[in-house]
Amino acid sequence: MNAIEIRNLTKNFGQKQALNGLNMTVPQGAIYGFIGENGSGKSTTEKLICGLLVPNGGTIKLFGKDYKDADVRAKIGVLIEQPGCFSNYSVWNNMMLQAANLGIKNAEEEVRKVLKTVRMEGSASNKFKNCSLGMKQRIGIAMALLGNPALLVLDEPINGLDADGMRIMREVLIDISDSYNCTVVISSHVLGELEKIATHYGIVRGGKMIAEMTAEELNNNCRTYVALKTKNPSAAKALLGRKFTRVETDENEYIRIYDTVKPEAVVEYLYNELNAVVTEIRTDKISLEEYYIDLMKGGRADNEIKA
Amino acid sequence: MKSKHKKYDFMKSLKSMLKVDFKRMFTMPLVYIMAGVSFFLPVLILVMTTMTGGNSSDGAANGEAAMQTFTNVWQSISSLSGTQMSMDLTGMCNVNMLYFLVAVFVCIFVAEDFRSGYAKNLFTVRSKKLDYVISKSLAGFAGGAIMIIAYFVGAIIGGAVAGLSFDVGAAGASGIVACMFSKIFMTAVFASIALLLGTVAKQKLWLSILGSLAAGMLLFTMIPMITPLDSSFLNVIMCLSGGALFGLGLGAVSNLILNKTSLV
Repeated sequence: MNAIEIRNLTKNFGQKQALNGLNMTVPQGAIYGFIGENGSGKSTTEKLICGLLVPNGGTIKLFGKDYKDADVRAKIGVLIEQPGCFSNYSVWNNMMLQAANLGIKNAEEEVRKVLKTVRMEGSASNKFKNCSLGMKQRIGIAMALLGNPALLVLDEPINGLDADGMRIMREVLIDISDSYNCTVVISSHVLGELEKIATHYGIVRGGKMIAEMTAEELNNNCRTYVALKTKNPSAAKALLGRKFTRVETDENEYIRIYDTVKPEAVVEYLYNELNAVVTEIRTDKISLEEYYIDLMKGGRADNEIKA
Repeated sequence: MKSKHKKYDFMKSLKSMLKVDFKRMFTMPLVYIMAGVSFFLPVLILVMTTMTGGNSSDGAANGEAAMQTFTNVWQSISSLSGTQMSMDLTGMCNVNMLYFLVAVFVCIFVAEDFRSGYAKNLFTVRSKKLDYVISKSLAGFAGGAIMIIAYFVGAIIGGAVAGLSFDVGAAGASGIVACMFSKIFMTAVFASIALLLGTVAKQKLWLSILGSLAAGMLLFTMIPMITPLDSSFLNVIMCLSGGALFGLGLGAVSNLILNKTSLV
């Protein structure tokens, strides 16, 4: 049984169509990286899953049941945009309020446990309004974790954090996936971070899911390329561009050849044709970010979902 | 790790919602500010108007309308039945003013859920909104009752300080007690109106307050007739049923709105 199964979901805000027949499948236990540009429909989809918006069409099933089912909804933990906290309350009081909302027995013990999970046990007495952005995001995750949810929906929890905040958040998310045994849907623009934790991916564009894949499939889809440096890069690039179908220069001035080719053959070819000496050469795979940019430019993933 | 979530149980859900709302109500300054205002309002009115002398013959001699002031403490609670609602100090400055305060209190209480984002936490785990509506209605009613009682205490203290008469007169002690209960039950009407407008306006606090005050103005002239100082058991029952009917009817509409509209 899938944790989330969405079919032909549509949502309009007045004349604007936010979701246009979106399909989404999230297997149980997955950490689902939900990727898309601003306004592509990520947050709208997450709000619909959580019942905070009313869809115009389509179906949403959570753990095989309709998303409105009261039993299923009680299993969701959510952090959408900002955490829902009262700014004048302390972290502890906000947490206790959410524990009361969920009807959790042994609330104090449970709150202590989730605060420890998000590395916030020492800041429980702080007023929420005095917490930093990173702390607020972790408080939001702690709230979402109360009651051991079966599904955790996190909307861009990494965005806006500094390097240290991102590191802590990554550790927290890995801890959660290890010890809470829940399905996590996490949307983010920070693809480098997402790549380190996600087991599945969904890429949305213009309110439609354009690709869904596992991390393994993504790994296979991310093409291998040969990156090299020579002393005469412009001539080398022009020569290689005539022989291979896709040759580009990256931000570090490496010439990248995306065709399937052995590095030794490239070295030999450049030497024979241009008398150019290759100073550095390696093979690598494109990152999630590069794959995503490719896809957004109009490139088509192997497992792109057909409308 | 085993999930602690059990099967949905309306009573348990309502209980947890009530716990949240009452905990919130008594931990936020708003309820104490409102209760404080309700307490000091009659003290100030009674003491200040008595100090200015009221019913001044000097003013009348100069062709100005004389200001009718309080001669009896219970005038600040309500007027006797059969008397027309006067548009002077004694007619306007009584416990009925608090209904507007109750509406503002409920509007702020509801809007704060949406403004803080707490509504996301609430409604993600609660697909059924009825417990929220019932809980908010009861909390609003309780808050209103606190304000009415605070006003009553303030009126007695203010009256004592101002040296006004405590003579129950034609109303009788039982009439005044029945009047107070009627007034308390009437808060349910205003709380449910404010709740309905709060669910419509969501985070737009100004809209819900404006709507509640406008709706309150329509009912304002009827309140003295329903809750006179010499109220009987019938008035209490009438206000109780009115509060319950408004609570149920407008509560059902609020529930429908929450179910059919976007919550963020």
